[in-house]
Amino acid sequence: MNQLNRRQAIQLLGMSSIGYFLGSCTNDLTTQVGNLSEPLNQSFGELLVRSQGLIPEFSASVIDPKALLINTYDLTPKIDPIDYKLVIDGEVKFPTELNLFNLKKLPFASMIMQHVCVEGWAAIVQWGGIRLRDLAQIVQPKAGVRYVLFGSADKYTDSWDLASALHPQTLLAYQMNGQPLPVENGAPLRLAAPIKLGYKQSKWVTKISFVSQIPQGGKGYWEEQGYEWFGGI
Amino acid sequence: MNKQPKKSPPVPPQTGFIKILHGLIIISLFLMMGSGLQIYNATPVFGGKSGWTFPKWATLGDWLAGGRNWHFTTMWVFAFTLLIYGIYILLTQRWKRKFVSGQDLQALKVGQNPKRRTYAWHRIIYTAIIPVLLIAIVSGLAMYKPAQFHLLSWLFIDWQTLRTVHFMTVPISLLFVFVHIMMGIRSGGIRLTQSMFRP
Repeated sequence: MNQLNRRQAIQLLGMSSIGYFLGSCTNDLTTQVGNLSEPLNQSFGELLVRSQGLIPEFSASVIDPKALLINTYDLTPKIDPIDYKLVIDGEVKFPTELNLFNLKKLPFASMIMQHVCVEGWAAIVQWGGIRLRDLAQIVQPKAGVRYVLFGSADKYTDSWDLASALHPQTLLAYQMNGQPLPVENGAPLRLAAPIKLGYKQSKWVTKISFVSQIPQGGKGYWEEQGYEWFGGI
Repeated sequence: MNKQPKKSPPVPPQTGFIKILHGLIIISLFLMMGSGLQIYNATPVFGGKSGWTFPKWATLGDWLAGGRNWHFTTMWVFAFTLLIYGIYILLTQRWKRKFVSGQDLQALKVGQNPKRRTYAWHRIIYTAIIPVLLIAIVSGLAMYKPAQFHLLSWLFIDWQTLRTVHFMTVPISLLFVFVHIMMGIRSGGIRLTQSMFRP
């Protein structure tokens, strides 16, 4: 390694301090820029969800199990399937609790979709489970409901707009690529929908709340740190 | 042919409107590239998670969500500037005079005047960037809303191809910027370049 001479050292120092200065001032600006376009981008996303019907599915031959990376924000929770309960509450007429036996008696739905991660990778996956709209039918959300909150066993949280949650291809899956859902992919029950980015698709879902307002700080784990809330694709 | 090609004056007058659009395209293009490389780094197009990433100085937005903020804000400026430019070209029939034509190709084939040849190359190059910028927008839209714009995504075969096409518009645009500056100076001198930036 050759040593830096004084001039180079001063230049490097200068460059890194400019970098530091730019870095600290773009931070606030970046947030402001995001806030500027988010309402516009969200209306654009909502418009597309409202006007669109079913997203075309992929053929089974392009399913790529290796492409689906595991992104978990914390630990993989241990859930005993016997004890597992899904709580559905909030502003609904008939709040309820369902165990896996009850859940699997509901109409089965399957789809082959592209799972798109915010990080830029994508994977084609088959998911099987129940439609979230069928669960909504059971609990009957009241008139003012606009959002759905999801709580998970690993404390991950997320929130969706009602229209996306009631989309016919929004599933709570217990099957993946024809097999029982693996625990690292969210067993016993996870969200799966072709219309949202991966971070919107909570794993190990234990609680679903239909609400008219998202509580303070309740947009979701990643959304509270700066990812866009709508996350539609 | 009843009209001889006119000899262009060395410094064409640029309208203020075109100068503004040109400036907006430059600024938004560089913001798109910086934030795009930030997004690239989250999962490199080449080599996946273990692939080579761009140095921090080449990226904009501090982290992935910040890069996305910039990218999905600037995309509106970038796309609408190009749209307005497109409408302007159509309305003023600028495409007839300012872009590459058969005469340029003829000049390259049989022309002896080196200045005319340089001018022809200059026009070919700045015409060629238009489809590249349009591909950047179309492939970007196909990646931004792959489910809702599934027909667009389908055009690009699969996700990896789509990402590759979108990414390749970055080196192509950078190369274009360099060549465009050089050719501008060669065909019209520094005065031509200045005419696009001076108020």
